[in-house]
Amino acid sequence: MSNLAILPILIPFIAGILLAFLNKHIPLVRSLAKIITVAQLLFVSWLCYLVYQSGSIILETGAWKAPYGIIIVADSLAMTLVLTTNIVAVACVFFAPVSLTEKQERFYFYPFFFLLITGVSGAFLTGDLFNLFVFFEVLLMASYGLIVLGNGKVQLRESLKYVLINVFSSMLFVTTIAFLYAIVGTVNMAQIAQRVQEVDQAGILTVIGILFFFVFATKAAIFPLYYWLPNPYIVPNPVVSALFGALLTKVGIYAILRTFTLIFVHDPNLTHTLFIYLAALTMIFGVIGALSTHNIKLIVAYNIIPAVGFMLMGIGLFTETSISGTLYYLVHDMIIKGSLFLIVGAIAYVAGTSDLRKMGGLIHHYPVLGWMLFIASLVLAGIPPFSGFIGKLLLLQGGVAQEELLIVITGLITSLLILFSMIRIFVKGFWGEKSDVLPTKPVKTAPFTWPIAFLLTFSVLLGLGAEWVYPSVQSMAEYLMNPDLYIESILKE
Amino acid sequence: MTRTNDIILRTTTSLIAFILIGFSVYLFFSGHNNPGGGFIGGLMTAAAIILMNMAYGSEAMAKVLPVNFRFVVALGLAIAVLTGVGSFVFGQPFLSQTYAYFQLPILGKTELATALLFDLGVYLTVIGVTMTIILTIADDRG
Amino acid sequence: MADILDVTQSLIQIVTTICIVVISISIVMLLYRTIKGPTNPDRAVSLDSIGVNLMGIAGLLAILLVTTKFNDVILLIGILLFIGTVALAKFLEKGVIIERDMD
Repeated sequence: MSNLAILPILIPFIAGILLAFLNKHIPLVRSLAKIITVAQLLFVSWLCYLVYQSGSIILETGAWKAPYGIIIVADSLAMTLVLTTNIVAVACVFFAPVSLTEKQERFYFYPFFFLLITGVSGAFLTGDLFNLFVFFEVLLMASYGLIVLGNGKVQLRESLKYVLINVFSSMLFVTTIAFLYAIVGTVNMAQIAQRVQEVDQAGILTVIGILFFFVFATKAAIFPLYYWLPNPYIVPNPVVSALFGALLTKVGIYAILRTFTLIFVHDPNLTHTLFIYLAALTMIFGVIGALSTHNIKLIVAYNIIPAVGFMLMGIGLFTETSISGTLYYLVHDMIIKGSLFLIVGAIAYVAGTSDLRKMGGLIHHYPVLGWMLFIASLVLAGIPPFSGFIGKLLLLQGGVAQEELLIVITGLITSLLILFSMIRIFVKGFWGEKSDVLPTKPVKTAPFTWPIAFLLTFSVLLGLGAEWVYPSVQSMAEYLMNPDLYIESILKE
Repeated sequence: MTRTNDIILRTTTSLIAFILIGFSVYLFFSGHNNPGGGFIGGLMTAAAIILMNMAYGSEAMAKVLPVNFRFVVALGLAIAVLTGVGSFVFGQPFLSQTYAYFQLPILGKTELATALLFDLGVYLTVIGVTMTIILTIADDRG
Repeated sequence: MADILDVTQSLIQIVTTICIVVISISIVMLLYRTIKGPTNPDRAVSLDSIGVNLMGIAGLLAILLVTTKFNDVILLIGILLFIGTVALAKFLEKGVIIERDMD
């Protein structure tokens, strides 16, 4: 019993409620939001340190013993992801006042923002499949609130699609949980994992596993189900796009990672091999999308999809190296996608357009923004020594070791094309002649720059400090590959 | 068009709305061991308020019941969370609950549980959300 | 004596089952009327009758399962039905359900 485990969920929740009360006083709300997120980041880092030092913290809510009550499991994987979430949150909360109009902030931006953080942290921390569904709903509710912020006509159309697809997949999610409950008679993930090994119902469990994969693939935007993603992610304000791009699809990937290393490991030849092919297709189609457009926001939004492909590839290969690659890539991608969305948001703001063909010569006025975009592109594409490189290296090593050369080659080509699609923004937008449609008077970019620089620092550190980060990533992968460790830590028999 | 006569609706509403509120309170308290609870109770209360809105118009109701329902949502959520957090003070895990028997004046021996406070939060949240949604849709000023 | 009790019990079971089936059929027919129309008042009346039939089913289930817990449910459906009917009637007559100013 330790209430520390629930605090990363509770603090943003209470903050959200508090700020909903104070909604009329925007300056106060802004500064409170900043203070709370920073304090929470410090607290979560401490908690993360604690978990690394002395093993996972488990909370049995309401003092109900493990398989019967709701449990919150703060293990090293969950805490790492919560920490990353909070880093992104800090950057976004500092970016928000410059990017949002006061009217938009008044429409309960901060309460929804904190509810989103609650949902994401909850989804990472819960040890109960049904509660995973509940926290998915919490974060989706908050995202519905955020996506319509600003009230544009396009926004309404895209958000309607977004809501419909998510409502459908949530419905399927809860149905699938019911199916699984019918087979194993529990929703506690540790106990499910234990019983799956016992019941000897491989056929039906595979079907349920694929259904779960379908649900999570819709949320994570994997090959046949990514079609909904790009447009809803670019219509809202850049801050909201950054939050969505950094957090939402990653929750889906986390859910796949958790369920398919813990529960559905009975037939990896079928399920995990399927993942490899889907991963390859996801990468190819995502990067084609990124190359096909001149809208800078859309380029970044499409770049989410190949990244998801890389992470899925690691899960599909299902070795310790590849899983640690996925973990590394997950953390790296959360931070870099957040910063990329913020950067293109800032570029679109200063240039007054998000169409690449109308830009040019921005480097004269905005050198800092330009070089940050350059670094971010290198990080995203995986140029050594940045963090994307380490993740991809591990993934490709795993691929070579499993002799899945097709996916390795696809991965390499995709990386190259990602770099090309990103550098295109830099070359066309920042070099070249100054375009005359652009506003001549430069806008002050300092308030935009700091949050982005904050995120990029973490991203670069993650790459340069790989020596220190890698052992903990590897121990997490080891922990994930041995489901018994998780089961024993919860059921303690 | 002649002005429609709604005296029957208004007279019955003033009667039925209070029966509804009474029923919702009954449902709210029976929720601990029987069908009912904060959610249904909240829906019933919201139904009573909507009925009054239909009979008397939203402007008159805004005067009678000057409540910002978005505020009620936040209040309900706050109560629900704080009952969970309350267990921290006693060194118990989050959401722990307890109950005791009390001798109340009219009701006699009654069981009161801390889960009831959580239910109160749910009750207020449901009223707030339902009323916000319906009044927003009904508001035709654009 | 015990024989008569048995007979009545099985009689009640058979009768309630038949009633539930018949009411279900009538709900299906009412649903057809609700969708088909042809006019809005038809739809209003058929929705109202669906609610009445639902109350009936809840009552019959309470007999079949020998429980009193459904009594609240019956009351609840009745109240929601009343409000629904009032709203529909007002919509048909005035085109608005909640007006801003009525006087």
